Order: sequence, then C-alpha cells, then structure tokens
Amino acid sequence: MITNNPIADVSVFIPPLAMQLYVIAMLVLVVGETVLDTLHKKSARYFFENAEKSKAHRERELSGGEKVSVALKTAAHDVLASGEFCNSRRRIAHLLTMYGFIIFIIATVILVFGYPAAIGTTPAWVPLLWHLGALMVAIGGYWFWFSIRVDVAAEGYPWYRMVRADLFIVSLLATATFALIWSFFQWVGAGALAVLFFWLFVIASTVLFGSVLWSKFAHMFFKPAAAYQRRVSEADGSRDNLPPPADQPEKFGLGIKRELPRHY
Amino acid sequence: MGSKTVFEDCDILIVGGGMGGCGAAFEARHWARDMRIVIAEKANIDRSGAVAQGLYAINCYMGMQWNENQPEDHVRYARNDLMGMVREDLAYDMARHVDSAVHKFEEWGLPMMRDPETGRYQREGKWQIMIHGESYKPIVAEAARKSVDKIYNRIMVTHLLMDENHANRVGGAIGFNVRTGALHVFRAKATIVGAGGASHIFKPRSVGEGMGRTWYAPWSSASAYALPIMAGAKMTQMENRIVLARFKDGYGPVGAYFLHLKTYTQNAYGEEYESKWHDHTKAMVGEYIDHHPTPTCLRNHAFLQEVAAGRGPIHMVTKEAFQDPHKETVGWENFLGMTVSQAVVWAAQNIDPKYVNPELTTSEPYVMGSHATCSGAWASGPEDLSPSEYYWGYNRMMTVDGLFGAGDALGGTAHAFSSGSFTEGRLAAKAAVKYIRDHAGDKLKISDQQIEKLRKAIFKPMENYQVGRNEIVAGSVSPSYILPIHGLQRLEKIMDEYVGGISVNYMTNEPLLKFGIEKLKILQEDLEYVGAEDLHQLQRAWELQHRTIASECVAQHTLFRKETRWPGYYYRGDYLKLDDDNWHVLTLSRRDPASGEWEMEKAPVYHIVD
Amino acid sequence: MPTFVYMTRCDGCGHCVDICPSDIMHIDPTYRRAVNIEPNMCWECYSCVKACPMHAIDCRGYADFSPLGHSVRVRREEEKGTISWRIRFRDGRVKDFVSPITTQPWGEKIPKLAELARPSDEDLNSQLLWSEPDALNIDTGLPVMAKEKFKQGVYY
Repeated sequence: MITNNPIADVSVFIPPLAMQLYVIAMLVLVVGETVLDTLHKKSARYFFENAEKSKAHRERELSGGEKVSVALKTAAHDVLASGEFCNSRRRIAHLLTMYGFIIFIIATVILVFGYPAAIGTTPAWVPLLWHLGALMVAIGGYWFWFSIRVDVAAEGYPWYRMVRADLFIVSLLATATFALIWSFFQWVGAGALAVLFFWLFVIASTVLFGSVLWSKFAHMFFKPAAAYQRRVSEADGSRDNLPPPADQPEKFGLGIKRELPRHY
Repeated sequence: MGSKTVFEDCDILIVGGGMGGCGAAFEARHWARDMRIVIAEKANIDRSGAVAQGLYAINCYMGMQWNENQPEDHVRYARNDLMGMVREDLAYDMARHVDSAVHKFEEWGLPMMRDPETGRYQREGKWQIMIHGESYKPIVAEAARKSVDKIYNRIMVTHLLMDENHANRVGGAIGFNVRTGALHVFRAKATIVGAGGASHIFKPRSVGEGMGRTWYAPWSSASAYALPIMAGAKMTQMENRIVLARFKDGYGPVGAYFLHLKTYTQNAYGEEYESKWHDHTKAMVGEYIDHHPTPTCLRNHAFLQEVAAGRGPIHMVTKEAFQDPHKETVGWENFLGMTVSQAVVWAAQNIDPKYVNPELTTSEPYVMGSHATCSGAWASGPEDLSPSEYYWGYNRMMTVDGLFGAGDALGGTAHAFSSGSFTEGRLAAKAAVKYIRDHAGDKLKISDQQIEKLRKAIFKPMENYQVGRNEIVAGSVSPSYILPIHGLQRLEKIMDEYVGGISVNYMTNEPLLKFGIEKLKILQEDLEYVGAEDLHQLQRAWELQHRTIASECVAQHTLFRKETRWPGYYYRGDYLKLDDDNWHVLTLSRRDPASGEWEMEKAPVYHIVD
Repeated sequence: MPTFVYMTRCDGCGHCVDICPSDIMHIDPTYRRAVNIEPNMCWECYSCVKACPMHAIDCRGYADFSPLGHSVRVRREEEKGTISWRIRFRDGRVKDFVSPITTQPWGEKIPKLAELARPSDEDLNSQLLWSEPDALNIDTGLPVMAKEKFKQGVYY
C-alpha cells in the first residue's frame, strides 16, 4: 500500500489536469485568504505600530546584522523547531503534524504534477513519503486531539466537543485520515469505498485550505512574526516592559510549575 | 450535566483549602494515620482563598519566645478593637498555639524579615511580623498536599449532607465539578468548613470592571456561612461587618504604612482630624474612645465624620517617610506582595507617594471572621478554657454534630488572620479526629433520596437557562430567568440601601432592615429562577445563593442588636448609642432548615482578664 | 487591572485556566488561546500572570479608575526563589523591585506527618498540637488559663 501511487488510480476518472488545477486553486485560496485576512484584521499594521511603540522603551538599538541573527534564531528555534511551546508533549505533537503536513503536501504536488497517470512508473519513495506524511499528521494530530488539546487537558471538556478553533485541526485530521483510508481501500481493491473516501478526502482538504479566514490556519504566518518581535524586544532590552531575570542561582527546583495544568 | 456521580467515602472532609483548610488537612494526618482525609476546593489549592495573591505580613504572631506578647494580651487587644466583645476562650486558644505554626512556616521556606539589631522577626506593629509572602499560599498548600489522601480541586460545594440516622449530625457535603460537570458526593464522618467569608454582599464602590477590586477576594462567596446556616448551625455576631479605611480605588493595605513607615492621616487642608471628634464619639460610645489603641471602627467613625463635614478627602501623609529609600521600597513591595492593584492604580494615575500624599477611602462592608471582625458559626471552645455555655465536647465544633470550622467560618475569633486561621484549622482537625474515634460505632446514612433531591436542585439553574433560552432571540434579558450577575447586583443594592452600605453612609434602622429582609426573601424566591449558561455560571449561581443566605443572616442580626456598637462599621439610626447594659452580649441566630424561619438569642460574654 | 492576554504570546497551554482562583481564565473557542471571560470578577491577584510560562498575560488597570499607559509586569522564577517587578507609570517613570519567595527548595522541608512518630491516645486528649510544645520555643509549656478567671460582665 505505502509504495502505491494513489493519484494514478484516480486519473482513471479525473483528468490529471483537473487535479493539477485543484492543487493550484487550493494554493491560491490559502495565499489569497491569508492576504485578505491580514488586510481585514490590519494585523500587519498592528505589528508595525507595536514595533514603533516598543522603540521608546528599548535600552539599545539593534544593528542590521543583529536583526538578521534574531531572524535566523526565530526561524531555527520558533518556526522550524516549534520552540515556542512550553509543553514538551505539545511541541513533539506539533512537530509531527507540521513536518508530516509539509511532507504530505510536497509528495502530493510531486505525484499530481509528476506522475499523475503513469501507473507503475512512480518511484517508490514518493508515495512512501506521501503515506509517511499523512501518518505523521494523524499520529501527532490524534494525540493532540484526544489528550494534549487544552480544551480537554485543562478545561475538562470531553474530546468530542467541537468549537470553531477546531476547524483547522479537524479538517487537517480528516484530510490525513481520509487520504490513508482511501489509499488502503484502493490497495485492497475495494473500488467503491476507495472512490467514496477519495471524495471525502477532497471535501476535507477543500475545507482545510478554503477556511483560512475562519480557521486557525493563518497562524502559520502570524506566529513567526510574533516570535520575531518577541526576540527583538528581548535583544534590545525593551522586553515588553518585563523586568529582567533575577541575578540569582537556580537552586530551589520547581514549585507550582512542576505539575501539568490539569487540577480538576 | 450532573449525569455522572463521583462518590467519595472518607473520614474527614475539609471544605475549602485556604489557610484554615490547609491547617486542618496538615494536622489531621498527625492524629489520624489510618483515616482517609480529603479536601474539596473550589479553585486550585496552590492559589486559593484570601491568601492566593500572597501576603506581606503575618498579622497574628505573639512572639512568646522573646516575651513580646502573651495570649492574654492578644485577647485584650482583640476585645478592645471589637468594642468589648469576642469569644475570649477561642481567641486565647488560637493565640497560645499560633507561634508554633509561624515557626513551621519559616522552616518550610517562607521568607521572614528580621530586625537587623535584635535578630528577631521584623515587627510591623505589636502583632504583625513582616514577610516576603508571595508564595505563602503555595508553601502552606504543599503542607496540606503532603498530609491528605486526595485533593479535589474545582469542586463547588453547594450543601452539606445530613446524616439520616442521627438528628442534627452532618454526614459530608455535596457539590459539582466546575470542569467536568460531575456531581460529587462526599460522605464523611466529620466535616470541617474552611470556606471563605463574604465579599460582594454589599454594593462595592466600583461597579464597572472595577467591581472585581473588592478589598476581600471576589471568590470569597460566603460559603463559610451559608453551608452551616443551611445545615441549621447557630451563627454569631453576623452583624459585625467590617469597613476598611484603605488607599483609594485599589484598597491597598495601610497597616505597614501606619505601623512601620509611620505615615499618618490628615484632611484635605492638612489638618489632623481624629482628636476633633473625640467628644462627639465619647457621647456615643463612652469610654471606649479613650482606649489604646483606638478601636478601628472609631477611627473610621472620625474619618466618616470629617468627610461628611466637608473636609475630605482624607490623605495618607507619605511624602516624609518615602524620602527614606528603604521605606519607599517597603511601601511599594507591600502592595506588590499582596495588593498589586494599588501599584497599578498609582502607576496609572502617576501617584508617586514620595511626591504626593495619596487619598484614602472607606470601603463597602464585608462580613468575615478571620480579619478584624468575628462573624461566623457558634462553636465549642477547648475543654480546659471554656465556660459551660461555650463548651460542648469538641473544640471548634459547631452546634451541628460532626461539623467543625476554621478561619472565616468560625465566629467570635477576631484578629486570627492567616496564621490564626491555619491554627484554628489545626485545632479543629485534632478535635474532629477525637470526635470520630469517640463515635466509631456510628453508622451514617445518606439516602439516595437526599442525594437525588440535591442533584436536581444543584443543576436546576442550567435547566432554567436551557429551557428559558428558547423564549428569546438573544441577549441577557429574559422574563423567565435572571443571570447570576443580575441577582448579585440586586443583592448588593438591597444590602447597600437597607442594611447599611456606602450609599447611605452605613446607616440603617428597624424599618429599613425589615424592608430589606422582605426584599431578600423575594430575591431568594427569584433565585429559583437563576439561569446558568455553563458550568462557570453554575458556580456563580451557587455563590450567589450562598451570598444571599448569608446576607439574610446579616440583616437578621443587625435587626436584633438594638444599639450602635461599632460606629464606623454601621449605624442603627434608631439606636445611635452603644448600650452596654442591654447589649454587652454575643448575638446568636439559627435558621430552621425546614421553615426558613430565624430564631435570635443572646449569649453571655465571658472575659478572661480585666 | 483585569488581566488580558497578548495574542502574540499566548500558546494556549492552560496554566492560567488551571490556576485562576476566580475561574475566569478560559480558552477562547475561536483562537484556542486564553481569555479573561469575566473582567469584573478579576481581583488582579496576578496568579495567572505569574503562572504564564510565555509572559502572555498582563493587566490593564480597571477602566473605572485607571488611565491608560501604565504597566506592572512580573517575572516569578521558582528555581531562583525570586519575584521581579517592573512598574511603569503613565508618565514613563520606572521602578524595579526584586523579592525572595522562598528560602528552601520547594516542599523539601515540609514533613510527611504519616512518616513521623505516632502520637499516643493520651496525646489526643491533651491540648497540644503536632510539634508542640517544642515548636513554641518557650520553656514554660503551652500557656493555660484557669477557667475560673472567666467572668461575665462588662470589661473595658
């Protein structure tokens, strides 16, 4: 199953061009809605104005080189390694879903544009990546959904309660899950079920990419900007008005903070 | 909601994990190695109760090791501050034990300030010692955590359960989990109420966002009183509400300013004003005005009179003291350690006490039993100290068998504060263990009927909302239910206008009180129709129920005592004088759980020392 | 100063939800980040502010009486046993303070009473509490007062 190209079978009833157009449409939706979202909420303007405001409180000015180095640190630590998460389980889950999703998207693009109909000629590593990516999303995502998600962990809500903040994770999980099921049925030769789950997959991914305005998808653009600004404020001493760390050795261990936030 | 039920069968149940509850939990384990001890806490025990924010002083420490004070001195002090009346047996008992608790706090890691010259604890005043107490509560909570079998956090206890095999005996408590919505039934052989006193029963001065900035914590929802009252326990001195003279708006504490920083007050024209009102006050209260220190209520009285005479606002003169950098640091850290809001207010209004003498104000009234007043349940004293009227077998046991109290819940013990509340918890726990041992053969019965009836009542506000919500398009206005905030605001308005709040300058009289009580009864009828949208609102609904029942008790007591005992806290316009001939007594009330009728009586005041 | 949460800093970990004594810090259903759902029941006790690992929570003084432009921020460092504050006035003046919050490793010096020597039945009937009279640091034992000294009547 995992070396089988699922796209190739679909080309029997959907022309490769249609699939390629769909992928492009999704890309346009994400980019378009993100730009619209930024303009509509004026978030870019907020970042700019906030940076101006904090200038008044900074202790020193950062050079261009320092700013580049802060940007690199942000990229390496916050963006690529999900360093912003204080909860290590959550960080691992996020890394799984994030990299799984990237791998899945890249593999999909290669399959759709490179091997849309060439049955038997797809190199094994591409579908392998496609399945691996979907699986990583599913593992990280379901772990998050059932046990790490703060609504369940700290708020005590049952796992099946859904709110708007779940639109992104649910459509993401549905996309990955339906992709895997669709591929499985195709592999065992259950044609009708394969078609059914293919279409469910298409619906889920359309919701995922089409709901940027309403879902948390846009956080991938918002968060790096926030992380960068936070690091700049630490480097230039303005520290968002926070006091500096105390000049004392760490010798007392953890008190309240040693336990997970689920006291109920 | 409420379809899932969690049963807990334990020996000792502690309701409320504040200072009193933590003291009880910790101590109980020493005496009861084989018993199951659990805490039911409304929030998270690491930051719950009045000390959640931290404290910058421990206000009750004798210092017997340095011969600074003896327990009888503390009794004199508390009695004087409350115009002659406290439960002196309870006060003495707390005072003789409190030092050992404070010494343990220091051992456990609580940073105490020390006098650089004597090496003793740094005194703020005669009774207060100064601490860096930001983590006072987490440290004390850790002691409780090490002793108990289980802590149930986020449980709103709504009622006590009554044993059906023995009349007038408590059998545990019932409530719900604010997160999961499960019903929690605690069946216990002894129950110790360590819940909170009453903020937000009188309308606060700030009614917008700032209504949260009450002097006492907004989560102190009078459960300390409502739970025993609903179980038929006798209450005492519930009229003895407290009004605090504090820094304006933030209600930042003044203790360290007066006592340690030696700042003082003056009127708007820079004049000392307290002595001006001496003769006027003496005509009301007699020689109490000549006592040292001047009782807090009488200082309030001078403050109120001076403002009413048109010479407000009253200022705290800080400019002199704050020229000393050490004192300036103490002044600010005092707020950061226990009332951060005051620092915020001053930062926002550009008030630097080094250059400006800040304004003071008098707060709305509060009802509580652990600070400088002594409202609460009528409880037995210790065997070796208490006269027969004050003793029925088990220290700190209320008039309901098996029901004990500590902190705000206990009446008659003023000036206990954090350390004294913890100590009362310890005393109650030891007595509770003894009670359980002595009654080892008792079989308690909590029938399913009792539980099911309460389950229905507890979750009714959610039902009210869900059903009633269909009637309206949207919004908060419904003809069929009121929201908890609506009920709270009505309660605060009734208490304010009829029972002596800020808008009437703390004045009331018999007709006003009777009107007020009638309105409170109608409010209680309406509380059957409180609507709760979610579990958080259900918690608010039950806090409102508790506040309302406690308020009715306050009004009944205020009506019963026909004198003005504490001018500056409240005034009976129809009896504007202190009356020692008829009212040098403790007032007692009992609400019949079946009929809701109140019975009032007087209890004698016994004095330890001249 | 009811608390509020910076969109740019909150990662929705739930520590504030867990610690709030007033049960007003909750997770927003749209953003899955924390929000103060009931600012008028906020005591400004800073429990959530101190607990937030991201410094995402701050206070803006109650609108009833606090003009804008101020800031009181805190850094509570358990391992160092310190709490640091920075107060910024509306007019820009700044004050910094640092205080200790513990003198011992957290919890280490608090005994587990179940593991210490058991009291006797006789002890249960005495007036002494655990560790007393030793912990009172006096030689004369627990103070007592004869019941006969209790008198009714008015004493000033």
